[in-house]
Amino acid sequence: MPLNIDWQQILLHLLNFLILAVGLYFILYKPVKAFMKKREESYAERERKTKDALSDAEKSREQYAEKLASAEDDIAEMKKQAFAETEAARAEKLRDAQSEAESIVAEARKKAEKEHDRMISGVSGDIRDIVTELADKVALSSDVNDAYEQFLASAEKEEKDDGKD
Amino acid sequence: MPEEAKVSKKKKIVAAVVLVAIAVALIVGIVLTDPLYTSPESISEVMEDAVLHEDNKVSLFGFPVNPSVISGIAVTIAILLFAVIVRVFALPRFKDIPGKFQLFIETVVGLFDGLAKKNSPHRNGFLGAYIFAAGVYIFVGTMFELVGIPVETTSGISVTLPAPLADINGAIALGFLSYFVILSGGVVGAGLRGVGRTLKDFSLPISMSFRLFGALLSGMLVTELVYYYLALSFVLPVIVGVLFTVLHALIQTYVLVMLTSMFYGEVSEPYVKKDKKHKSAEKHGRLHNKRPVVQEV
Repeated sequence: MPLNIDWQQILLHLLNFLILAVGLYFILYKPVKAFMKKREESYAERERKTKDALSDAEKSREQYAEKLASAEDDIAEMKKQAFAETEAARAEKLRDAQSEAESIVAEARKKAEKEHDRMISGVSGDIRDIVTELADKVALSSDVNDAYEQFLASAEKEEKDDGKD
Repeated sequence: MPEEAKVSKKKKIVAAVVLVAIAVALIVGIVLTDPLYTSPESISEVMEDAVLHEDNKVSLFGFPVNPSVISGIAVTIAILLFAVIVRVFALPRFKDIPGKFQLFIETVVGLFDGLAKKNSPHRNGFLGAYIFAAGVYIFVGTMFELVGIPVETTSGISVTLPAPLADINGAIALGFLSYFVILSGGVVGAGLRGVGRTLKDFSLPISMSFRLFGALLSGMLVTELVYYYLALSFVLPVIVGVLFTVLHALIQTYVLVMLTSMFYGEVSEPYVKKDKKHKSAEKHGRLHNKRPVVQEV
């Protein structure tokens, strides 16, 4: 063969290389690749866990934010309700106070009218008594002038007494 | 402090004198023994044998084989031994945060695995394992020639073991095996269409084999040439022997691995039916950019 090509030696080289390739694959290539793959998977797993934890944290944060926002709304609602209740209580108290005031005024007015009536009735009784007394005195006195003078004197006296009272 | 500096300076002077004395003694020895050295072969015979391996055979269990077969076996044993040591002692101690050695191993495995995934996204499990083995074999095999292990040939001459792929038989074996790996990817990934795609590149195994052979042989020939002459044996081997060997070990590893993975990815791509308009546009595009650039390296 040209260039000293020898099939037997080619086959020897092939056999030698095949032994090397198979040995190298099982002894070094496969185990190293398996180790690298395992490590890659463990890193991927760690990354996945970290991502999950991050997304959980993000969800929790969103939930807290939502809760916070709803709490503010609740507070506003409660404030509103409390204000309305206070307003209602105030209005009721005002109404009560007004009605009480009205009843007091009405009672006072009634009492005043009663007093007025009582006074009027009392004064007319006095006037009647005075007139009756004067008429008795006039009838009993001889002189009309004297009677008149006495009448005036007693009226003045009566007026004075009234003023003192 | 001045006392310490004085001692240190004295030590440096002594070391320099010893080194110079050793170098002078070596040069004198080499010059004096030069007439004693007579090569049994002329330079043309040495280079011819490096290319053809017709004369210098080594006995392997009674079979006369080229020295590169012994090199290949030695490289395989060395690599597998290293792999076993790593598997038994280092791998169980691997940590999530890698140390320097773990990082080195993971980088090498990850490099070939990544190349397979990048160039053949549809099907890459087997490809990754293959290019890992091929890449390690080419790199370590090429670096192996730096070790220079001597063996005795059947004719009684001592020769140093060459790189396994500096022999045309070794290069053909790896080139054709790579082609069959590509073909297998085509069959599994795309059925008969994959076979067609692979057979279309029928020159690939020859080009792959001879590229490997040529690249590694040229390095070896230059090294043989340099070492044949005493005058060229100073300083120059550091550049020629080490630097060139490292460079072409890296380049040839990269080229074969890239070519195999790219062709594998191309032929194993599942067939997708396209409409006529799309097809003609793609055909037009392919005319402009037909082959990957790496093929031309």
